[in-house]
Order: sequence, then C-alpha cells, then structure tokens
Amino acid sequence: MTFDWSVIWTHRQALLEGAALTVGLTVLTMLLAVPGGIMLALMRLSSNRLLQSASLAFVEFFRNLPLILVIYWVFYVMPMAVEFQLSPLVTALVALVLNISAYNAETFRAGINSIRKGQLEAALAMGMSRRQAMFKVVIPQAGRRILPVIASTWVSLFKDTSLVSVIAVSELAYSAMQIRAQTFRVLEMLTAMAVLYWLMGYPQAKLVDWIHRKYGVKE
Amino acid sequence: MEFDFSPIADNWRFFAGGLGVTVALSLISAVTSILAGLAIALLRLYGPGWLRPLLVFYIDSMRAIPVLVVLVWMYFAFPLFVGFTFAPFWAAVIALTLHIAAYAAEVIRAGIESIRPGQTRAALALGMSRAQLLRKVLLPQATIRMLPAFGSILTIAIKDTAIATVIAVPELMHRAETVAGQSYRPVEVFTAVMVAYFAILFPVTRGIDRLYHRVAHLGRS
Repeated sequence: MTFDWSVIWTHRQALLEGAALTVGLTVLTMLLAVPGGIMLALMRLSSNRLLQSASLAFVEFFRNLPLILVIYWVFYVMPMAVEFQLSPLVTALVALVLNISAYNAETFRAGINSIRKGQLEAALAMGMSRRQAMFKVVIPQAGRRILPVIASTWVSLFKDTSLVSVIAVSELAYSAMQIRAQTFRVLEMLTAMAVLYWLMGYPQAKLVDWIHRKYGVKE
Repeated sequence: MEFDFSPIADNWRFFAGGLGVTVALSLISAVTSILAGLAIALLRLYGPGWLRPLLVFYIDSMRAIPVLVVLVWMYFAFPLFVGFTFAPFWAAVIALTLHIAAYAAEVIRAGIESIRPGQTRAALALGMSRAQLLRKVLLPQATIRMLPAFGSILTIAIKDTAIATVIAVPELMHRAETVAGQSYRPVEVFTAVMVAYFAILFPVTRGIDRLYHRVAHLGRS
C-alpha cells in the first residue's frame, strides 16, 4: 500500500474553504440559537400555560431526536410546507438552530432556576421592579453558571456541523469526502479531515475546560 | 398536499428490522462504552503515571473530533492500514465506543472523585484493599450519582447510531433513506421515523430521571 500525502496539499484550497464554512456555520448557529434559547426559556418561565407547554414540547421534541434525522426532515419536509426549496446551507442552518435552541433553552432555564428564590424576593423587597431584580440580581449570577454549559454546547455544535454534509453542504466533512471520491486517496483524505477537525476542536475543548475551572460553580 | 403512508405500512417488516438494528447497536455501544470508560477512568486515577497524559490526550481528542469523522475513518481508512475490513455494524460499534467511551471515562472519573476522601481513608483504615475500597465503597455510591450522566450516555448512543447510516449500517435511519428514495415519499417516511425515534428516546430519558429520583438518597454522603 503506497500513500500519496501530496493530494492533501493539492486540494488545500477546498479543505480550507470547508473548514471556514464549518466555523462559519458554528458561529452563525450559535448567534441565532442563543436568542432562540432565551426566548424559549422565557416562554417556559412565563405564567401563560400555553406558552409553557409550547416551549416544553419544542424542547423535548428536538432534544429527543437524532440531529441527522432533523436535518433530513428539514431538507425534505420544509420545502413542501413553505412551497419553495431553501438552499442546502439555509436548510442546514435551520436544522442546527432548532436543535441547539432546544439545548440552550434548557441551559437558560436551569441557570435562572438555580438562583435561589430568596434573592429575587430580597430584590423585590428592596423596592426593585421585577425587571430590575431580574437584570441586576438574577441574570448576572445565572450568567456565570450558564457560561460553562454554553461553552460545552459550542463544542458539540462545532462537531455536529459535520452532519450537514449529508445534505451536500460543502463544509469540511463534505469537501474531504468529495475529494476522496474524486481522487480515491481514501486514507489520506480521511486522515486529513480528522486532523483538521482535531486542530480546530482540540483548542476549543481545552478552552472549555478552562472556562469550567474559572466559572464553574462548586456546590 | 396529500399524504400517503402506505410505503410505511407496506415496508413495516423492513422498518422493524431497522429498529432492531438500531436498538442492538445502541445497547452494545452503550455497554462497551461504559466498560471501556470504566477501564480508562480507573487507569487514569490509579494507573501508572506515564499512562495518564496519553489517556487525557485520547479523551480530549475524542471531544474535539466529530463522531461522523471517527466513523468514516474507522470504516474506510482503517482497513487500508490493517488489511482487513469490518462489517459496517462492527465498524459502527468500534467507532461509537471509541467516541462515547471518552465521555463515559470523564463521567466515571468525576463520579469517583465526588466521593469524599474521608470515605477512602476510613475504608483503608478498616483494612480494606484498594480493590475492596472501589468495589464496596466508591463504585456503589458513585454509580448512583452517575445515573443521570449514564442516562445521557445512553441517549447519545441511541442518537449517534443514526449517523451510522453514512457507512450503510442497515439501521432505522438507513432504511428510512432507502424507502424514502424508492417510494418518493420522504415526508411521510421521515416523519414516521421521527416519531419512532422519539418513541424510543423519550421513555429512556424520562425513565432514567424517574429511577434517579427514586434512588438518589442512596448516593448522598
């Protein structure tokens, strides 16, 4: 078995573009899924029964489905519902945002709930409005507890973007698989793909550990 | 728009087979991951010093690489190294185990470390050996504390089996793709399969929550 590692250098352009799209998808998804998660968490914590159950149903639904299936479902079913075909990239983004919003919603809800009730009551007793109490007392404390979890979600999101390769979004995994199919350099391309993911993911995983050490709350 | 669920009714045996493969793959991967994770965690805690950085490197690498990448590498690239091919099912078991065991190892290590050091000292003072200490004092309490995390490992295993479709493991997701392609009814097929996955996963997550609430007091110290 001879290996020809130069194939990686020949196709560096496509691989780097794929890696850039992987990062872009991660950033864009998180930018949309944080407000999405906050909205779902607020719905869940509101006093309106209907909003509560809608949010609960959304969160439980997307947390209990394999992401790859959500991607397929959005790809095949949504065009029928909205009457036109979205580009694969937008489809991928929709699926990722739906999934990550559900996880973020749980994170925000748990973070806000973890602040003892007494703190809110004390703030209200001091004459703060509900809004002030939330924004000056509860949310700053909750933020510290939420940050490490969001960081972990970030890394799993980064990895999960590889799944959108199944609907031909040319991120890193798809690009590498395409080049593999064209050149038949299976081992070289797949190893290059793994190494590129590792190079990007490893520092992120380490950063998450650091955030956990710095901001993690020891009970 | 009209719905036609007949492809699902016509192919129910095919889907049931896929469901069986999904369940088998999930259970085998979850069990092997937890066993491998236990071995890794124990070696990291009590093993020789030179092994520790290697295990930490392995764990962090698995946290950095997508499971899809591990899967395709294991199935397509690894055989070129060693000269023999795995069946897709076993390639998936190996890849999922490699990936999930890293998470399981972290869960188990954190569980063992969460038991207060006083208990270890007390057990050693009573004349227990290290093995007895682990078996009779640390692991029983840690296991209960780890239950919710084991629950997430099981759900992750079930969800990750769907990714095995890319190496053509004939599990539920793969069969859905096949039938959707043949019948031109992707909406009905993928929706039905969605319901099926939800029906497997929801009771698992809820069941483990329930179990934990029932036994949580046994893990308090």
